[in-house]
Amino acid sequence: MTDNELGIELNEPLVSVEEYLAAGVHIGTQQKDNDMKDFIYRVRSDGLYIIDIRKTDERIKQVAKFLARYEPAKIFVVTSRQYGQYPAQKFADTIGALSHVGRFIPGTLTNPKLPKYVEPSVVIVTDPIGDAQVITEAVQSGMPVIALCDINNRTNNVDLVIPTNNKGRKALSMVYFLLTKEFLRQKGIVSAMTVEDFESEF
Amino acid sequence: MATIKCTSCNAPLAEPGATEFKCPDCGEMIYRCARCRKQSVKYTCPKCGFQGL
Repeated sequence: MTDNELGIELNEPLVSVEEYLAAGVHIGTQQKDNDMKDFIYRVRSDGLYIIDIRKTDERIKQVAKFLARYEPAKIFVVTSRQYGQYPAQKFADTIGALSHVGRFIPGTLTNPKLPKYVEPSVVIVTDPIGDAQVITEAVQSGMPVIALCDINNRTNNVDLVIPTNNKGRKALSMVYFLLTKEFLRQKGIVSAMTVEDFESEF
Repeated sequence: MATIKCTSCNAPLAEPGATEFKCPDCGEMIYRCARCRKQSVKYTCPKCGFQGL
């Protein structure tokens, strides 16, 4: 018997269901995209779609395992979303990846003449809508794209989806914290970091 | 020489926009053509059955 509000039980979770719910990782949107229908747990009476956190938990583990196969310096973490900037930067700094927060300068992945030109092997974006330019350039360069997708996101040109609330400050901090923790675990490093280390003050 | 084909639709990976990566679960190579990526076509790992996207 479960005692959380959704009645969900997780098999070997990264954090407890209560912690996921407290961070709001399960909160979706009132608009649904058909691409994300597999990740919907239920629809609330006010029309809000609830994300299936069992799939979120599973995907975080799979993505961490996937990223652990790459050299950290070949991973490119991008976010233009305000609330994603601090946790994404922290994630990149901790694992030793490349990062780009704020406005993405077109050509960063395709124009070698640019001073900020980088040549990663895999790209992680926080929001496929806000980071559309990065996805376009990653496709042109033939790189796999991992995206944190909410229920209203389309998954065109995305190769691996992490279904999560990608709009909340705490939700983004939680997802990036878990990705870091699991990535380091895959590399055989025990981390003493907590989710508070990934939460920005603003 | 054997042609590399898309894991989802079996089309040869001739045009730009295609990608290849290892299965998140088992590490088997997965190939996705530009069209399948654009249309969000799901892929299944031929070795472990992992369903991607």
